[in-house]
Amino acid sequence: MGVLEIRQLYKRFGRHEVLKGLDMDVPERSIFGFVGQNGAGKTTTMKIIIGLLKPDSGSVTVCGEKAAYGGSGTNRHIGYLPDVPEFYGYMNPMEYLMLCGEITGLTKTRIKSRSEELLELVGLKDQKKKIGGFSRGMKQRLGIAQALLNEPKLLICDEPTSALDPVGRKEILDILLAAKGKTTIVFSTHILADVEKICDRIAVLHDGKLALCGTLSEIKERRRLHGFIIEFGSEKAASCFENAEELKRPSISLSRSGSTVKVFLADGDMDGHLLLDVLSQKRIVPLKFAVMEPTLESLFMEAVR
Amino acid sequence: MTGYLAFLKKELFEYTKTYKLFVMLMVFAVFGITNPLIAKLMPEILGSLITDGITITLPEPTAYDAWTQFFKNATQMGLLVMVILFSNVLSSELSKGTLINLLTKGLSRTAVILSKYTCMALVWTTSIALCFGLTYGYTVYLFPKEETYDLLFSVFCLWLFGMFLLAALLFSATLTGTSYGCLLITGAVVVICMIMNIIPAVQRYNPISLVTDNMGLVMNSIEASSLYSTIVVACLFSLIFVSLSIAVFRKKQI
Repeated sequence: MGVLEIRQLYKRFGRHEVLKGLDMDVPERSIFGFVGQNGAGKTTTMKIIIGLLKPDSGSVTVCGEKAAYGGSGTNRHIGYLPDVPEFYGYMNPMEYLMLCGEITGLTKTRIKSRSEELLELVGLKDQKKKIGGFSRGMKQRLGIAQALLNEPKLLICDEPTSALDPVGRKEILDILLAAKGKTTIVFSTHILADVEKICDRIAVLHDGKLALCGTLSEIKERRRLHGFIIEFGSEKAASCFENAEELKRPSISLSRSGSTVKVFLADGDMDGHLLLDVLSQKRIVPLKFAVMEPTLESLFMEAVR
Repeated sequence: MTGYLAFLKKELFEYTKTYKLFVMLMVFAVFGITNPLIAKLMPEILGSLITDGITITLPEPTAYDAWTQFFKNATQMGLLVMVILFSNVLSSELSKGTLINLLTKGLSRTAVILSKYTCMALVWTTSIALCFGLTYGYTVYLFPKEETYDLLFSVFCLWLFGMFLLAALLFSATLTGTSYGCLLITGAVVVICMIMNIIPAVQRYNPISLVTDNMGLVMNSIEASSLYSTIVVACLFSLIFVSLSIAVFRKKQI
C-alpha cells in the first residue's frame, strides 16, 4: 500500500480547470519528484493533500486514511513545507519549534531533544537571532525542520529549492537526502537537475493529469529512443558505413556529420547488434559506439508537448 | 485542547513581543489617571482662560464628572483604539501564510478562532480593569465623600459591550480576511446598532445601550434591571458571532 494515493482528483478555479482527473501513487520510502511547468497544478495538488483546498471531486488517501478538507486528521502523518514558508518574525527558531511541538502534542522533553536534533540537521543550531532577520535559505531550512518535527511518514515539500542560490540548493537537497529512509518525500520542482540528483521516482504533471510516472530508470528505459552515436576515425569509414546495403531499410534512419553517424532504429525488434554486425562485416573499428540516453529534459519536453 | 492552549500562549507572546499589549495598557492607564484629574482641574483650566470682566460660575466638580470622563473616554477612544489594534487579528496571518505551518501540524481551525477570541478578551479585560482601577483610586482620593450607584454593574456593561464588539470584529475578520474589511464591518455593526436605537421598542434589547446608559446607572436615573434583556441579547450575539466565525473559518480556503 502506498503512503499517498490520489484518485480522480478534479479542481477548477473559476473557468480554469487545473486538475482533470489526477491519479497518483507514492510508494513508501521513496523520494518522489513531482515535476511540472509553472501553473501546472503542483501547489494546488499539495494543498488539497493537506486539506487547505477543497477538491471538486476525487479522493486523497494518506497512510490508508481518507484526507478531508478543513480537517487535520491525516495531517499528523504529514510534514509540509510550503513554497515560501512564513514564520512569526518575533520568535527565534527554538521558540518556533517549541510552539509547533506543543501543537502536535509532543511532550516537553521530546520537543526539546527533537528540536535540537533538527536544528543541528539543518544547520541552525547556534542561531539565536529572531526569524525576522533570516534569509530565504535559512527560512527554507527552518521550514524543513518544522516539517520533520513530528516524524511524519510523508514529507511534502513545495518547490523547496526554487528561489535559492546554488549553495542553498545543495544544502536543502542534502538535508532531504539525509531524511530519506526515515520518511517518504514528495517534492515538487521545475528544476530537473534536482530531480535527477535525489529522486528515485518522478511524475510529470501536465494538463491536469500525470503525463509520465515511474522510477527514473523505468521511464528512461521506456522512452529510450533506440538511437546510437558512432564515431569513426575518418570520414571515409563513416561514409562507407553510412552507405552499407544492410542499413538501407525504411525503419532505419541515418544522419552523418563529418565522421560521426547517428542511427535511429524505429523498429522495436532491432537493436545495436545489427549495427555491430555491419561494422564487423565492413571490418571497421569505430572510435566510439554509444547508445543515446534520453535526458530528463528531453523526456519532460516530450511529456508536456 | 493542547492546540488551543499552545496557540493561546503564542497569541499572548505575540501581543507582548509586538507591543500591542503595551500600547493597550498604556492608553487605558493614561485614561485611567487623567479621568479624575481632568474632572478636578477643569474649572481651574477654564478659570485661567477667562479674562477680566466676565464672570462665569462653574459648579464644583464631583465624582460624577470623573466617571463621566471615564465612560466617555473608554467608550469612544478606548474602544476605537482596541478595534484598530485588533483589526489585523487574522488578516496578517492569512496574508503572510503563517497559519499554514501550524494548521498542517494538526492545529484545528476551531482552536485558532477560540484562542484568538480568548486572547483579545484577556487583553481587553486587563485594560479596562486597569483603567477602572486607576480612575477609582484617584476618584476616591480626590472626591472622598461622593456616592455612586451601580458603578461595578455599569463597568460590567461596558466590558460586555467590548466583548460583543470583539466577537463582531472576529467574525468580520474571518469573513473578509483583510483588516480594512474587518474595520468596515465592525464599524457597520456599531452604526446599525445606533440607527436601531432610534426605535424605542428596540432600545431595551440593543447592545449599544450597554455603553450609552452608563452614567444613568451611576447616577441612579436608570434601573439596573432595565438592562438585563440587553445583556442577554449582547451575550447571545457574541456567541452567534464567535460560532459563525468558527463555521466560516472551517470552510475558508487558505
